[in-house]
Amino acid sequence: MTSATIGIDALRAMRSDRRKHRVEDMDWFEALYRVYLAAFLGLGAIFFLSGLVGDAAFTSADLVNIHTHSPHVVGLVAALAVFIGLRSGANGGPLAVEDAEVRHVLMAPISHAQVLRHPAIQRLRTFAFAGALTGGVANQLLGRRVPNHPSLGLFATYGAIAGAIIGVLFVVSALLAHGLGIARWLTTAIASVLISWQVAVTIGDTNVAGPFDVVGSIALGWSRVNVFDAFGVLVILVLTAVSISLVGRFSLEALARRSALVSQMKFAVTLQDVRTVVLLRRQLSQEHMRVKPWVKVPRVLRRDVVVGRGFRSMMHFPLRRIIRMKLLVIAAAGAMVLAWRGTTPMVVPAGLALFVLGLDVVEPLSQEVDQPDRTDALPVERGLIMTKHLIVPAIASLLFLPAGVITVLVLEPGASSVGYAVLLGIIALLGGVAGATINSVKGAPDPLSGANQGLSLPPEVSGMGTVIRSGWPPVVSIIACLPVLALRYGIENQTDILGNTLRATGGVVILLVLVAGWVRQRDAILAYFRTLKPPTSSPTSITESN
Amino acid sequence: MVRTRTNIHAPAPASALHVNNISKSYGTSPALDPITIEVTPGERVALIGHNGSGKTTMMRIAAGLLDASNGAVSIYGHASGSLSARASLSFIADQPTFYDDLTLWEHMEYVARLHGVEDWEQTAADLLGHLGLYERADDMPNRFSRGLKQKSAIALGFIRPFDLLLVDEPFVGLDASGKEALLELLASASDNGSTVIVATHELSFVHTVQRVIALRDGRLVYDGLTEGIDVDRLVRTEDPAGEHDGEGK
Repeated sequence: MTSATIGIDALRAMRSDRRKHRVEDMDWFEALYRVYLAAFLGLGAIFFLSGLVGDAAFTSADLVNIHTHSPHVVGLVAALAVFIGLRSGANGGPLAVEDAEVRHVLMAPISHAQVLRHPAIQRLRTFAFAGALTGGVANQLLGRRVPNHPSLGLFATYGAIAGAIIGVLFVVSALLAHGLGIARWLTTAIASVLISWQVAVTIGDTNVAGPFDVVGSIALGWSRVNVFDAFGVLVILVLTAVSISLVGRFSLEALARRSALVSQMKFAVTLQDVRTVVLLRRQLSQEHMRVKPWVKVPRVLRRDVVVGRGFRSMMHFPLRRIIRMKLLVIAAAGAMVLAWRGTTPMVVPAGLALFVLGLDVVEPLSQEVDQPDRTDALPVERGLIMTKHLIVPAIASLLFLPAGVITVLVLEPGASSVGYAVLLGIIALLGGVAGATINSVKGAPDPLSGANQGLSLPPEVSGMGTVIRSGWPPVVSIIACLPVLALRYGIENQTDILGNTLRATGGVVILLVLVAGWVRQRDAILAYFRTLKPPTSSPTSITESN
Repeated sequence: MVRTRTNIHAPAPASALHVNNISKSYGTSPALDPITIEVTPGERVALIGHNGSGKTTMMRIAAGLLDASNGAVSIYGHASGSLSARASLSFIADQPTFYDDLTLWEHMEYVARLHGVEDWEQTAADLLGHLGLYERADDMPNRFSRGLKQKSAIALGFIRPFDLLLVDEPFVGLDASGKEALLELLASASDNGSTVIVATHELSFVHTVQRVIALRDGRLVYDGLTEGIDVDRLVRTEDPAGEHDGEGK
């Protein structure tokens, strides 16, 4: 009765039946439309970025640099994936099975290994695919700048292999950390050692190999093939097999906690509700606000109640969130340096990193948006409260400026680097806050609201409307990083460098002021648009008129 | 109707549930102080305590859904969470969960067969009939009201064989007939020799058991016979011994 195979047939049969039901219930038109939209947007993005990259071919010195440094740099991405993976595993990741699966299947007398092997392989497949896609696109973008380059397909292939390995490394690290039950502090320590080692070889310009150089070396397969890379791949395959064999040791408590949160998160993602995703992600990684504030907010900063509330919120930020915010600033600064050196598309990751930072820093504002009943009950205009809520995030974001400036100074030593880093850094950080503010204030789309009346429009139009609505906040953050291109243009063309940069930053400042004005007047603008709409007749009145 | 006894224990062990010095804390906040409890096979126990007293934490640790910070739990001599323990234990949680894409009848089949029960249909029909759910067998339980979900969870808890039944707040949301049906099922499980432990405030159940275990703020404050106890006093948040004179702030 208690054999490990009990109920396995039932499990297999039910999984197969459920798969059949899903296929039968699938709305094929809707599915094809989604594929079409994703392909349309994905290809559009690739062509757009490819066009941006076509600005300058690499010189032979650049190519030497690429061969020397790219294994370290790509290895750094892999190290980051392992870092996140180990932390995810220590927090109960990476699997998220259904809540009902935990309750009914994992509590039945069936071997957990047999139940969880399938979702673990699914997770590996998904991340390998996503990594392959990203790596393939990134490497072919690089290939466009290589003079007399071989086929772009070759670049894409090796990029895809490296990307897939990075995806696999993330999942494998998480599976190992969870399966081996490694304590959170120990995983952080191991992950920190690995990432520090990789950072040291990347920045230190030494001949010492980093632990993940093999991944970067594979990405360079278009120019040379290293037999040692095959050994690295073999090690990763062995680790993959070992990690899958450990899934039977996963904690039921962690699986139960994650299952409920992940299903909510998936729903929030379908609604493009970034705020809910952020909140749920914090719960998933058990990131709680500090009970005891870092320091007591002095009375002078609490003179205005809204501003004081904002400072108090910041004082409860957990250390890990502050570290994450600092890392995001460092990553954004690094990306902007790369954009300055000629890789224009790097403004996109820089803007996105600052947008994510902004989502953390606008916490007091987001909390206010989360409690609309509270603000509606106050005898104060909501717009005014929301505008005041921008003050503390703006100040708090600028506290991270030194981290960005130091990063720039390390990558591009020089006195002028500091000046331009401060100027561009302030604008970019405020742009991150602006993007996150738009995202928070507009809230999640209401599927039943008038905003979705566009669903009666042709699918291309309403679909694009949804994409623009969701994409606009991060785009604002990316726009705030664009002045770095003006700086580059000024240097490349030996024109008025400072003037060019100031004009570009001035444009962004206008955008930031418009965002603040929109926050202040949003309710009035919405009220005005409501007056323009013809009144809708209620079902009762229709009946009565009939 | 009630499928109790998995018949995997020969000879019968001394305890159905042995909670040995378990504690649980979330970060620095303790949820359960070290507790030791032993429940013998066939006993009928009520676990009581005010909100936040640690009842659900203890039930979940016993069911293997939560990892204890310290200590160990065994079910009929097997470590909690092991295959044998899972075969013996049926846990009906306070928050019912169901698959989105299975009807109640399909849930019944699935859970029964997961536990190796192939002749499940008559039992399922009887259980659903008893709980007043037969007409809803082909509906999706995820769309049911709170009370109907609770009844569905109870049906799923009883469709499979068990030796130990752990039930967390089962009476919440049930109407009078539902409560009556549940009390009958619990009595039937007991009569068949299963051990039944129910976390509840429902006096109609507490008065039918032989033993009451009370928790307060994560501590065991009473473990003994039901006769003569003042349940209201035990589930109050204040200290019943009157150690606090109320003259504080």
